[in-house]
Amino acid sequence: MEKIGQLYGKLLESLEKEGNWAREKLDRLGLAGKPCDPWGLDPAYCLKTLRLLAPLYRQYFKVRVYGAHHVQDRPYVLVSNHSGQIAIDGLLIFMAMALDVDHPRIVRPMMERFMIKLPFVGEASLRLGGVLGDRQNCIKLLEEGQSVLVFPEGVRGVSKSTSEFYRLQPFTRGFFRMALAARKEILPIAVVGAEEFYPFVYQAKGAAKRLGLPALPITPLFPWLGPLGAVPLPSPIDIHIGPPIPVPEELGEDAPNRDMDACVLEVKRSIGGMLKAGLKKRRKFIDPKAFLKNFGVGK
Amino acid sequence: MIPRSILVIGISGSLAQKTVGLLLEKYPNATIRGIDARPLPPGFGPNERLQMERIPYRRNSFERLFRDHRFDLVLNLGRFSHSQGHTPKDMARKLEFSVIGSRRILDLSLKSGVKKAVTLSTFHVYGALPDNPTSISEEMPLRASLKYPDLRHVVDMDNVVAKWMWRHQNAMDSVVLRPCNIVGPSIRNTISRYLTHPKAPYPMDFNPMMQFIHEHDMANVVAGASELLPTGIYNVAPPGGVIGLRQALKAMGNEGLPIPFFLAAWPLRLLQWPRLRVPGYLIDYLIYSCLIDSSLLHRHLPKDFFRYSVEKALQGLREASTKKRL
Repeated sequence: MEKIGQLYGKLLESLEKEGNWAREKLDRLGLAGKPCDPWGLDPAYCLKTLRLLAPLYRQYFKVRVYGAHHVQDRPYVLVSNHSGQIAIDGLLIFMAMALDVDHPRIVRPMMERFMIKLPFVGEASLRLGGVLGDRQNCIKLLEEGQSVLVFPEGVRGVSKSTSEFYRLQPFTRGFFRMALAARKEILPIAVVGAEEFYPFVYQAKGAAKRLGLPALPITPLFPWLGPLGAVPLPSPIDIHIGPPIPVPEELGEDAPNRDMDACVLEVKRSIGGMLKAGLKKRRKFIDPKAFLKNFGVGK
Repeated sequence: MIPRSILVIGISGSLAQKTVGLLLEKYPNATIRGIDARPLPPGFGPNERLQMERIPYRRNSFERLFRDHRFDLVLNLGRFSHSQGHTPKDMARKLEFSVIGSRRILDLSLKSGVKKAVTLSTFHVYGALPDNPTSISEEMPLRASLKYPDLRHVVDMDNVVAKWMWRHQNAMDSVVLRPCNIVGPSIRNTISRYLTHPKAPYPMDFNPMMQFIHEHDMANVVAGASELLPTGIYNVAPPGGVIGLRQALKAMGNEGLPIPFFLAAWPLRLLQWPRLRVPGYLIDYLIYSCLIDSSLLHRHLPKDFFRYSVEKALQGLREASTKKRL
């Protein structure tokens, strides 16, 4: 009993510590007191949520960021691999860009229309800075000096079965056209560890289609345990940021697909390379000793 | 173009009355004829430069009007309230007046030598859909009628007038205005009724961004259209005037009634909120954003044209509502 009380005390202390750490970091964003923007970003809500989620980011997913020095104080089209069945990787990149780089900013993750329609989730995502994945929307944001986060694999990337983990799916070209239109650099990002949020997954594609869902992952716990079964496992996350890739000057917004394909492939290769290197140095999936140590329990 | 003889259709509406007030001030040599099928407003009193007439909205009445008078500016501000009449008969009447009637007014205007016609449409024509881009430009397709039969007459009218406008652009100037939510002390439209209702149900699971324009600013745009706006379609919203629905209700000092719309939307649509007189289609406008891009309009207007911010516009509505309750 005493041990449980001790653990609870440590947990509270840790939450407060993480909240304070986040508060200091978030001051750099200069968001306080700003009004909502037309896309729905609510600065006050965003700061509050980031503070609340900071312990999850640091202690539960133990996010490490590599290549933070590549991020300069200018807008980018952030392009990342997509994994983990639910878009937590997007949230973690969003948090990393707000908390763990020298030039922090609120990046605007592009969202599927399906997400916007979800009650509570859609609203929370928009208030946190998410935007509908519409090209004109994002070009406008980039022109206003904001950074946009894109997952060019789309739903195919996030909804993989276990046998396809860490295999990049085909990239759509939309992100590159956006970068060409706004003449902004592409920042490649690889997320390692998110596939293990649900280590054993079967995609029930037929049932998903019939239910009108983009994907329906079946795991040993979901949907059998309901929402509880959807809680992701504490897989440690490494976010690798590569050097920015400029868009070729000779290519315009309406460049034919064949001229763009080599550039899209270059971005995919860059992310694929970081994934490969990242997988070699990833941490143990579950390390109970290290987990308890975080809360000051055990040696 | 400086108008000398102006026809205002729908004079009994609050926006039309505001506009007439501004026109009388702005063009001291102009005469105005206001018509409406509804009872005429008593507000203006006897005025040599303003004649008002209650006429039925029928072909003969309009033909007579254009035969007996010469106008050089026609402002078509007559619209059916979206919240009234949902029977098939009502819908047919709305469709006939809005679509066929508006087209006929333009034909008569052209025939009688009118120099410019201004038609009032609405931002509702774009529809509130989850895949709406953040700012909808005038070129976007009008998708409201895909989902809401209640809005078919509005969308069809906009389409017909726009087509007519481009076909006759060399013969006559015409302007279509698609304003965002108009609010103010004297406007009693659907959104004003909703915002001022103390128990206005609002979604706890969505918070769409909304735009509001003060009635004075809107009347000023309509009154200034003859001089400032060349032929075309214009979204009308004040610069930067965007606010979340919940924040708008808060600005109104209205606690409202939070309900999960993902469960309640269908029953609410079916019931049509009879006490609030809120039509079923509005539910989607309370779930998804429908923000218009008015940059084209702002290019033609002077910089300090708009006097009311979104907060001030809502404040005006709040004050009027409080006075009414007292």
